[in-house]
Amino acid sequence: MKPKKKHIILLFLGALICASSIAFTTVLKKQDKISAVLLTKERVFEAGNSIVLDFELSTPVRTQLFIHSSFGSNVIDPDDYHTARFIVPEFMAKKKGVVSYTLLGESGSLYDGEIRIIPNTKTKIHLESYIGPPSIIAGGEDYTMQIVIPKDSFDNPLRDSTAVLIGHQFLDIEKESIVQSKDMIGWTNIFSYDQSGRILLFSKVGETVSKEFSVEVFPSLPENFEIKSNRKHVYADGNQITEFITSIIKDKYGNVLSNGSLVKFIIKNEKGLLLHTQGSTVNGQAVGKILHPDHKDTWQIKAYIPGMAESNTLTIAYTQVLDDFEVKFDHDNRKITIGPLVSFMEQLIPDGTIVKMDLFKDNQKIDTKVKTSSHGVVRFLLQEGFYASGNYDIQIKALGIQKEFKNIALK
Amino acid sequence: MGWNRNIYRSLIIISFVGVIILLLFGISQTLSYLTTGADRSSMLHLALHKEQVYLPKLKWKDTINPGRPIERQALQDIEQDYLNAWYIRNAAYQTNSPEGIEDYYTKNARKHIVKSLVSNKEKNIAIHSTTTTHNVALDFYSADGQLVVITDTGVKEYQRVYRNNELLLETELQSDYQVMLMLEDGFWRIRHMVKEKNHSSDTVTQTNRSIQVMGNKIFVEDKEYQIKGINYYPQKTPWDMFGDDFDIDVIATDFDIIKNAGLNTIRIFIPYEAFGKAKVKTEKLEKLKQVLDKAATKNLKVIVTLFDFYGDYSVLDWTLTHRHAEQIVSTFTNHNAILAWDIKNEPNLDFDTRGKENVLAWLKEMIHQIKQFDPNHLVTIGWSDTVSAGLLQNEVDMISFHYYQDINTFSEAYQVLNSKVKKPLVLQEFGLSSSRGFWSPFGPSEKEQANYYKQFQEIIKQNNIHYLSWTLYDFDEVPGTVVGKLPWRKHKQKHFGFIDRDGNKKPAFEFIAK
Repeated sequence: MKPKKKHIILLFLGALICASSIAFTTVLKKQDKISAVLLTKERVFEAGNSIVLDFELSTPVRTQLFIHSSFGSNVIDPDDYHTARFIVPEFMAKKKGVVSYTLLGESGSLYDGEIRIIPNTKTKIHLESYIGPPSIIAGGEDYTMQIVIPKDSFDNPLRDSTAVLIGHQFLDIEKESIVQSKDMIGWTNIFSYDQSGRILLFSKVGETVSKEFSVEVFPSLPENFEIKSNRKHVYADGNQITEFITSIIKDKYGNVLSNGSLVKFIIKNEKGLLLHTQGSTVNGQAVGKILHPDHKDTWQIKAYIPGMAESNTLTIAYTQVLDDFEVKFDHDNRKITIGPLVSFMEQLIPDGTIVKMDLFKDNQKIDTKVKTSSHGVVRFLLQEGFYASGNYDIQIKALGIQKEFKNIALK
Repeated sequence: MGWNRNIYRSLIIISFVGVIILLLFGISQTLSYLTTGADRSSMLHLALHKEQVYLPKLKWKDTINPGRPIERQALQDIEQDYLNAWYIRNAAYQTNSPEGIEDYYTKNARKHIVKSLVSNKEKNIAIHSTTTTHNVALDFYSADGQLVVITDTGVKEYQRVYRNNELLLETELQSDYQVMLMLEDGFWRIRHMVKEKNHSSDTVTQTNRSIQVMGNKIFVEDKEYQIKGINYYPQKTPWDMFGDDFDIDVIATDFDIIKNAGLNTIRIFIPYEAFGKAKVKTEKLEKLKQVLDKAATKNLKVIVTLFDFYGDYSVLDWTLTHRHAEQIVSTFTNHNAILAWDIKNEPNLDFDTRGKENVLAWLKEMIHQIKQFDPNHLVTIGWSDTVSAGLLQNEVDMISFHYYQDINTFSEAYQVLNSKVKKPLVLQEFGLSSSRGFWSPFGPSEKEQANYYKQFQEIIKQNNIHYLSWTLYDFDEVPGTVVGKLPWRKHKQKHFGFIDRDGNKKPAFEFIAK
């Protein structure tokens, strides 16, 4: 009987050991699968504060944390080898937005999650302003846009619906309004007034006031205007200058056109040819200048600001500066002296008057010679090597007068 | 002695001439280097936008905004520069160098990236990433056209993280961003960027209509479909089916031969580069359409193998391949000649050179992309052996593999694979080259080839296997890119056909389908 009892005990013991060992191994197997729990309670952090993510692991293993935020991804190590306590690096903890993370064990991920970083309103607020276009025109149709991005001191745009005070000053007008920011920005359109001048702009969020900005309001489109002429005498001497002067050009609100606006003067002469001069405005007036014609002529002048405004048509006439001039033939007619050219006051015509001579042989034009006067005189030399002996017809033109000499014999 | 002297003399003269040549070459190189540089195109960034290297799917959801109506040109510029900003950032995180960041991020914004890069560089972390989808809405466009705020929702970011050159993590995130960009120096640069939300990836629901897979069977229009097919190239233009010598009449005649032989399916190949890479050429698509239309009239189903001769699986190249696939696949979404899109021919052969994880990640994403563009047709991958065939089995609709080993071990290999997977198995390529000749004196003869097919057809019949044999014709020329330049290799590849190069049916033709 005794040995039997012993056997039973042995058997029982054996079974016990077996069972416990099986139980133990299953426990061990369960432990193989590591689980992680996040101990950190906060899910929302203010930018710039230190962010610590502390995990509790069922078994201590080496871990790493993969983090993904607005400007890219990083992998960080725990601050101590054995713990799973991670300090999110400063450059990431400073930036607003959602940060997703994955806790990595030795074989794959253990925990996924995300935290949110919100802008830190406890820091000094900064304002980023953009104003454009920098110049607009008067009249209330054109506008400029003022955009304000309120930020914390870590360069994060504040949350939407932040109140932004936007104001401006123009002449004796001062206006302020409050807008709610949306999509990072608070913005408003500022329309021009009837007067030209400079609008000053500013904005304010909390205690922070922006810099002062300015937008130039230029006069609106010019209205039609008048022109008059101014000249020293009425003679077509090809030498004096005639000025065309506009009235003070204004827009329809009475603002004087901005300095430097270009005015084009178009002159039509008797033959229908168009001459052209231009001037830019100073204090609303532009002056165009042009030389007198060198022959009798009548001009019709009209001024334009292209595409915007035009003037009345002005008609002025120029009278002949001389009635006749002398022509002398010397040295076998090969030296031709024209002049002295004398003007209406019996003065020598100023140097530089153009004299043209056409040479004909057998009714064929063979040459044209052009020279400018010096001391009232022009001399043409017909040299033997160029002009063979024979009979020539000669035509001479100066200051609108034409003279003809037939059968001039050269030797 | 006299000879020696002459040798020395000539050596001295030759070396003298050589030195002079080198000297002149050096001087000319220096001079030409000095005269280049300040050319206008590089100063004005003219050539910068020439080639598009990043083409994720970008959709403008709406452009209505309170600021001012946007012009199409501005919208295009913003889109281009915004995507470039992503590309440059992805590239920077891959190499940890801030190359080009200053072009697409303002001074204040780029600080964050640079700090982040420094941190990653210290820990030897490289992040290979790309975005595949952007859905952009315009929130604000300023009156002066210098500032814009956009919201980009559902940005799919694929990232692969390496630490000390070891893969640490592969992840796909989907996030929403709000971004402010400003026009500076002709670039739209990111000024503020805020990640707003994170959401889990959506799954594409398969809505196959006419073609379905149930269990390990394929159904076409509710009837069970048994693939009896052949890999097809025209006899004159192997590996260049859609080239200049494309002739639809030749192809039509071949389709008749295939149909009359009792086959019902063909497999064709779309070369990636020849089709125009990211910008698929319309004339190529037109040719493909002709082939598919012809197949439809002859009642043949087609397995279209994409990305032939493609070999760059790098993450930064993904979006270009996605656009390639999109243009081809979405054109034929409703074409009823297509049975399946075969993503890539034998991609497992690139595991060694390109990295297994690179190739698999690319394939996985590409399947996802193609199912988005075309939910109507099946997707498969043409693995080169039975060992790799189990890879990505959950992603594909049917599992395709090639078999060129000993016929006697086929049954066993097939059974092993069949027990592992629960989807239709397709023997997508098999065959024997009747290559006996000068380059292969002991190679199989045409009779042996016929015998091989006879045996194989018996195994196929026993196991009810979907099959496509390689190939219809013997070829005159095989391009060097296929099997290399060695003549004996080329020779082998020329004789896999059922029909010889003169158009005569080889003995094997009897066993093409039975």
